[in-house]
Amino acid sequence: MVPAQIAATAIFLVMFLLLVLEKFPRHFVTLTCGLAMLVLVFGICMRDPSAIVDSLSFKSFISPTFWYSSGQVETTTGINWETILFIAGMMIMVEGMASSGFFRWLCIKLARMVHFKPAPIFILFMILSAALSMFIDSITVIMFLAAVTAELARLMGLSPTPLILAEIFCANLGGSATMCGDPPNIIIGASLGYSFFDFISNTGIIALVSMVLVVPYFYFFFRKHLIPSGTGADPSSFPDPKDAITSKRGFGISCGIFAAAVVLLVTHAQTGLTVATIGLSIGLITLLTAGKQAGMLLKKLDYATLLFFIGLFVAVSGLEYTGTLELLAQLIQFVSGGNVYIMVAIIIWGSALASAFIDNIPFAATMIPVIRTLSLAQGVDLQTLAWALSVGTDIGGSATPIGASANVVGTSIAAKNGFPVTWGQYCKAQAPATILVLVVATAIIFVRYL
Amino acid sequence: MEKQLIISVSREFGSGGHEIASELARRFNLPLYDKNILEQIACKHNLNIRRLEPYDEAPKNIFTSRNVKGFSNSPEEQVAQMQFRYLRAKADEGVSFVVLGRCAEEVLKDYPCLVSIFVLSDIAFKKERTMARDNTSEEEALELMARADRRRKYYHNQHCRGKWGDSRNYDLCVNSACLGIGATTDLLEGYIRSRLALM
Repeated sequence: MVPAQIAATAIFLVMFLLLVLEKFPRHFVTLTCGLAMLVLVFGICMRDPSAIVDSLSFKSFISPTFWYSSGQVETTTGINWETILFIAGMMIMVEGMASSGFFRWLCIKLARMVHFKPAPIFILFMILSAALSMFIDSITVIMFLAAVTAELARLMGLSPTPLILAEIFCANLGGSATMCGDPPNIIIGASLGYSFFDFISNTGIIALVSMVLVVPYFYFFFRKHLIPSGTGADPSSFPDPKDAITSKRGFGISCGIFAAAVVLLVTHAQTGLTVATIGLSIGLITLLTAGKQAGMLLKKLDYATLLFFIGLFVAVSGLEYTGTLELLAQLIQFVSGGNVYIMVAIIIWGSALASAFIDNIPFAATMIPVIRTLSLAQGVDLQTLAWALSVGTDIGGSATPIGASANVVGTSIAAKNGFPVTWGQYCKAQAPATILVLVVATAIIFVRYL
Repeated sequence: MEKQLIISVSREFGSGGHEIASELARRFNLPLYDKNILEQIACKHNLNIRRLEPYDEAPKNIFTSRNVKGFSNSPEEQVAQMQFRYLRAKADEGVSFVVLGRCAEEVLKDYPCLVSIFVLSDIAFKKERTMARDNTSEEEALELMARADRRRKYYHNQHCRGKWGDSRNYDLCVNSACLGIGATTDLLEGYIRSRLALM
């Protein structure tokens, strides 16, 4: 390894360690390591100012393909501003929806539809969790769904833990179905130039087949916990969906903007609008229609997460420019012996194993250049490797309480309601479901693409 | 008692900190908050206390825990935060009390009525007390003391800026082996009464 590779690897490993230790804010860690990558690796070791310019990727804003894609696939390196703009826009939209009471209204409305009966609520909330997570980040989905679940479970005389665990799994599964469902997918799609339709017709099929298996799995796993203790609550004590709406006007606008976002995302391959354009438009429309609330929405924007992504992209670009990730690609090539089945299996199961214990966002960002190299070197279809990476990172994270952000939020809400979830409890339910989905995904990818 | 008074007692295992805190609570006629905080939280929110007890004053494992936007998957963290909220709420209500451990010297540091105490002791003193109380061998007592103090230190330092047992974080640090439990309590009572007079 040359000095630049050693420095890049050291910075990256320190970044990962600091992210795990959580001693400093995540965005502080990635930004500092990104800066170290620019100064030490590109500046001092490589003496290559053009690498710094490429890594910061500001020029992408003036490229027409950043805003409008005329069909050609363009892969990007460095800071993926498309991802940043899209996430920022969706954050503003979700904040607007949350403040109008949309999520709480939806959850209670569905629960009321099934007369607040535990088993139907259990199944319906799993499906709702997966469906919402296809378009909205799973953290937000679980934040609202788990809170309503805990409230309803208390009224029904149930432990909320089984319901919340099933919802978490389905949120991660639903997120894997689309390009905008999970951050790794946004990064994969934006970096490799895939559309919403590409994802839904590939990872979406895997997620759908998996849902058909996972819903009965969780039902049978938790069926004994769905019997209420006592005589059950008085029906009049259950919340009314109408009370969840804080502003009728805001609620109507939120529903409209959400519907527009879904339409724009579903049709973006046809319209040519990139996710950056969609994110920016949705964010701006939300702000314009929010009136006096616009300032509050901007204030609530999760800048820390956006900065985390920016720092992360720079840090990963250091590994990419120095050719360090090519070494990782060569290792995968060596282990697989050039056998494409083994290579795909390594990517799915290796990504899943890594994502079960470390943040899947930096992992996915790191692996994109690796699969790109593997595709070029071995002549394997890049899309096949991309779907393998997407499914591995999205689903693997479900196996442990720390594997995905939704898991942390869901188990935290359960604990706040007096039901702490241990690793044992969590993994007993989720790990077999994770393995089941990974087996299904591996089989589908082998049969369909290889 | 008209003036609000909060006494926080942190302690080394075997130093007699619990005994001192109980006696101070009796002498000042104040409630003592220790593990009973969880009982009160469980009772108030209709929770099962057996689910919460294993995480009382326990450090989280940093390799099996993660924080996302203020949410943590660690039950230890959740239980600690429940107790911190409870203590702050009581302090805000103007209630006077004695609290044992639970990072109270930092959690309640903004309340001028707080008197924070750390009780330490000589190893021999702690060992004798531990052997007598838990009916253990010398080796077992030393092991138990080391393990309990390590656990308290990690728990404390995960939640506080100041380090556990660092004299700069407490109003008074006292070695209970020098005067014994009774006389140490007398000393502390005098100190607290002097502080109370100045409040």
